[in-house]
Amino acid sequence: MADTYCPDCKRPTEVVFDHSAGDTVCSECGLVLEAHSIDETSEWRTFANESTDNDPVRVGGPSNPLLADGGLSTVISKPTGASGDFLTTSLGRWQNRGSNPDRSLIQAFKTIATMSDRLGLVATIKDRANEIYKKVEDQKPLRGRNQDAILAACLYIACRQEDKPRTVKVANGATKKEIGRAKEYIVKQLEVELGQSMEMGTIHAGDFLRRFCSHLGMNNQAVKAAQEAVQKSEELDIRRSPISIAAAIIYIITQLSEDKKLLKDISLSTGVAEGTIRNSYKDLYPYAARIIPSWYAKEDDLKNLCSP
Amino acid sequence: MAARRNNPSGIVPTIQNIVSTVDLDCVLDLNHIALHSRNSEYFPKRFSAVIMRIKDPKTTALIFASGKMVCTGAKTEAQSKLAARKFARIIQKLGFPAKFRDFRIQNIVASCDVQFTIRLEKFACTSHGAFSTYEPELFPGLIYRMKQPKLVLLIFVSGNVVIAGAKKRDDFYTAFDNIYPVLAEFKK
Repeated sequence: MADTYCPDCKRPTEVVFDHSAGDTVCSECGLVLEAHSIDETSEWRTFANESTDNDPVRVGGPSNPLLADGGLSTVISKPTGASGDFLTTSLGRWQNRGSNPDRSLIQAFKTIATMSDRLGLVATIKDRANEIYKKVEDQKPLRGRNQDAILAACLYIACRQEDKPRTVKVANGATKKEIGRAKEYIVKQLEVELGQSMEMGTIHAGDFLRRFCSHLGMNNQAVKAAQEAVQKSEELDIRRSPISIAAAIIYIITQLSEDKKLLKDISLSTGVAEGTIRNSYKDLYPYAARIIPSWYAKEDDLKNLCSP
Repeated sequence: MAARRNNPSGIVPTIQNIVSTVDLDCVLDLNHIALHSRNSEYFPKRFSAVIMRIKDPKTTALIFASGKMVCTGAKTEAQSKLAARKFARIIQKLGFPAKFRDFRIQNIVASCDVQFTIRLEKFACTSHGAFSTYEPELFPGLIYRMKQPKLVLLIFVSGNVVIAGAKKRDDFYTAFDNIYPVLAEFKK
């Protein structure tokens, strides 16, 4: 149903699109405005268990606006059956060797896709990361830096922009320092280009808490208690990285419940070193009564908490 | 020396380090210098300059074969110039026709304490967010790049502030005067 101008009725009328015949018909006078319209939906549906030999799809993948020509490409393939002919076997090889300006971009996108799969990220974040990488690549060639670090930093920034921050350690590849430096570089490049957008808020412990808790398999009560505790701890003056604070709070909460988690497990899932969790625990211990919600643990339980 | 301008808080940043450069205006033989002086080290594979230290003022100099020299570690401008002159004297005594050309202070680092704790996250979110970088995972301090005068301030939760990149003493007094009221806004 749409509204278009009908030349017979001489005014905009309701227009019906008939899919079976491909006609656009005016609903008032019946005039056919457009016939033989081309269907742009997909022709065939592909299923996972079907054999790949007999694939009737005649179009390629979705067009990628980030690539130079939208990802169009023609590939010379080997003819089925006999392949003794020198020309047919070599043509494919020669075509591949020809200069392809997008080669590095495609390679980078593939790496970003692998990383985001490993972290279980949505396609939105992956596309954002691709965009960021392309923008940076356009500005200045980044030969002088670790390629892995740049890609990891793109992914990190994309996550931050979508308000789903990941720890720098998780978006791995190179060392934390390298990734940090790459991130600064990229942010500066983007600011130069866009003239100051980059709305990346500071990270808070609460952003990561949910994820860490589900990694460890804590029950709902514990998760809720941890979230409340993190909220209260923001008011305190604790000078530690938010991730370490989150890890320490999880440690306290699990120590209070029956399902105690080892320092080792927490350290593995949060990426914080065991020593750091212990130190953060030492900092938080004096305030334990204030931050742990009273419905979760009584005063006596708190006294049972091993003092650091 | 210029009069020290204080803001109402009465806090004055103290200089921690001054980096200056001077041109000795002659080609130097680094091997000769390294062999004939007691307080220098020279590892050409690691770094192509002689690293020389003197006890008073307690400073370190990087001396390059081209005749250029970098002097670091002094606590006042006068001390930096004096130290540079002492280094030049040492080079002269070793037999090179050293002169004292273009003495310039390149960088002054100062620090101070505002005596109250600061909410850094709030700071980074406001209109000053354009100049600030706060990444608690990477570095516990907020990095504030001031445009006028052009220098960098590291602001910590404890209230300590480090100012770097100033070329003149007045620059960082101005910078501190500028930043103090802003910090007071975000007192915890």
